[in-house]
Amino acid sequence: MAETQFQKAIFTASVSYNKAIGKHFFNLRLELNGSAAEIFRKALPGQFTELDLSRLALPAEEQIPDELSECSQRQILLRRPFSFTNIEYSGSKVILEILYCVLGPATLRMKTLKPSDKINLIGPLGNGFKISSDKKLAILVAGGMGAPPLQHLAKELKDKCPGTETIVFAGAKNISQLPYYDIKLEKISQEPAFVLDEFAKHNVKALISTDDGSAGFKGFVTEMLKNWLKSKKPDSGKTIIYACGPEAMMSSAAAISSEFNIPCQVSLERLMACGTGLCQGCAVRYINKQTKETGYKLCCKDGPVFWADEVVW
Amino acid sequence: MIDLTVNFAGLKLKNPVFTASGTCGYADELADFMDVNQLGAFITKSITLHKRDGNSVPRVVETDSGMLNAIGLANIGVDKFIAEKIPLIRQYNTPFFVNIAGQTIEEYVAVAQKLANCEEIAGLELNISCPNVKKGGITFGTDPKLVSEITSAIKKNAGKKILMVKLTPSVTDISTIASAAIEAGANALSMINTFTAMVIDIETRQAVLANRTGGLSGPAIKPIAVYLTNKVYNEVAKPANIPILAGGGIKNASDAIEFIIAGATAVSIGTASFIYPDSAIKIIDGLKKYCQRHKIAKISELTGSLK
Repeated sequence: MAETQFQKAIFTASVSYNKAIGKHFFNLRLELNGSAAEIFRKALPGQFTELDLSRLALPAEEQIPDELSECSQRQILLRRPFSFTNIEYSGSKVILEILYCVLGPATLRMKTLKPSDKINLIGPLGNGFKISSDKKLAILVAGGMGAPPLQHLAKELKDKCPGTETIVFAGAKNISQLPYYDIKLEKISQEPAFVLDEFAKHNVKALISTDDGSAGFKGFVTEMLKNWLKSKKPDSGKTIIYACGPEAMMSSAAAISSEFNIPCQVSLERLMACGTGLCQGCAVRYINKQTKETGYKLCCKDGPVFWADEVVW
Repeated sequence: MIDLTVNFAGLKLKNPVFTASGTCGYADELADFMDVNQLGAFITKSITLHKRDGNSVPRVVETDSGMLNAIGLANIGVDKFIAEKIPLIRQYNTPFFVNIAGQTIEEYVAVAQKLANCEEIAGLELNISCPNVKKGGITFGTDPKLVSEITSAIKKNAGKKILMVKLTPSVTDISTIASAAIEAGANALSMINTFTAMVIDIETRQAVLANRTGGLSGPAIKPIAVYLTNKVYNEVAKPANIPILAGGGIKNASDAIEFIIAGATAVSIGTASFIYPDSAIKIIDGLKKYCQRHKIAKISELTGSLK
């Protein structure tokens, strides 16, 4: 991918909204002003931020779910990385939208954030998705919590590549794990439809899959993708795939893209200590297509978005 | 006017704050967040004779008030370091040390010889927490005889560079190791390296790190590091008049001052830079304020001032 596009720095943001979406997900909006806003308004889909959640208090004991009771006692140290579902700017301020689910001691603290609370963040970090207006079709493949940067990308494609049609293949384990606010179940069919508001507002139709069949296609999102490519046979030179989700899903998307000869970008996830290239923890096994040389790149600094055929899966 | 300058093994530093090896790259990533020239000094990540890709992932995992890392000395190799990184580092007027590592004494010596000719480098930090493949994998830094052997071999080949030996805490008596390094010619001690540690995923019963074990760093180790610094200062460094660069879990100026009072001439900031990349700069500022509050004219007066 390209060199890191923009300057990054340490900023303080102000919380403007933090509410639950369904049972498992939360939508956090952070407001930035001044130089932070200037820098973040240029952030690309796929770039991310590292939040310092260590200074936040835990929720009251009765609000801590049993399964997180033990891990909530852990004193956290490191920041946590998040990509954006959206970046809005109006005048001199920027709103970053983050989708998260409560999984451990950090996101448990995150849940307690309320409007006007302050939070420290670093960013924008990494490199985003690369878009080009010569594509006729952009296919977004979102596995579970991989959806956020693809929502952001759908907006970017609508704004920057009006000639590109975009559709999203959105999958999860089951219906309650689909991280969307409003799923129009009655509209789900075998053809892409305006099923998910998050994408529909960018004029993007969706196909839904769940591993257990509780919504849409029963099976993996990548199986649904493969079936669709087989039957629709889009022009591979004019098509591009963008994938974000669990590693196995992206690996499968990479294999499908190579089978159909469609270029594919993936946004990878790794355990990271810093997000800024200092710790070297988030290694991604990489192959140089020309020289066939292999080595490691850093997910935080060289990625998180990589060309799928440059990753050793 | 507070005097933050310190004399570190003959090198005059504008303040006693270093960024630790492996937590500040080659200073390039840090430069995105702060003025590297404000640092007392910095230490590059470990350099080996040949390029190393490092370990598989996961390489890092968070623990209670700490983290484990098992990066595996990923680096570009000494030749590429000299050709590509030194010209970039040269732009800073902050002195820097190069941390060197290897699997045999010969490898360490070969790296030291190449670096000895680079006039930009203030000194070498010897990472002796590596297994010696020729001696059945025993860690160099846990055996006083090996420490003595490797320190004197490098001393002979390091030209006029300051030679600093970085001690591992995973030993029975750290002072014995410190003495061996000093007797073999070390000009300074750096302490402490991380503690060997492990995190287990109880659902899968597997070690979380691909390398199984990793080095524990962060606030969790600070009180032990302060104690070890004070012990080495009293038993070895002070009598030999050798400076200590100390650290382990320093997050703020108060933490740094504890180490200085315990006997450190300078302090190293490591894991804190992962969370706040400009930590070192804030700590420098905090040292000044502490000295003002306590009417200390020279920060060097604080070293070893534990009552």
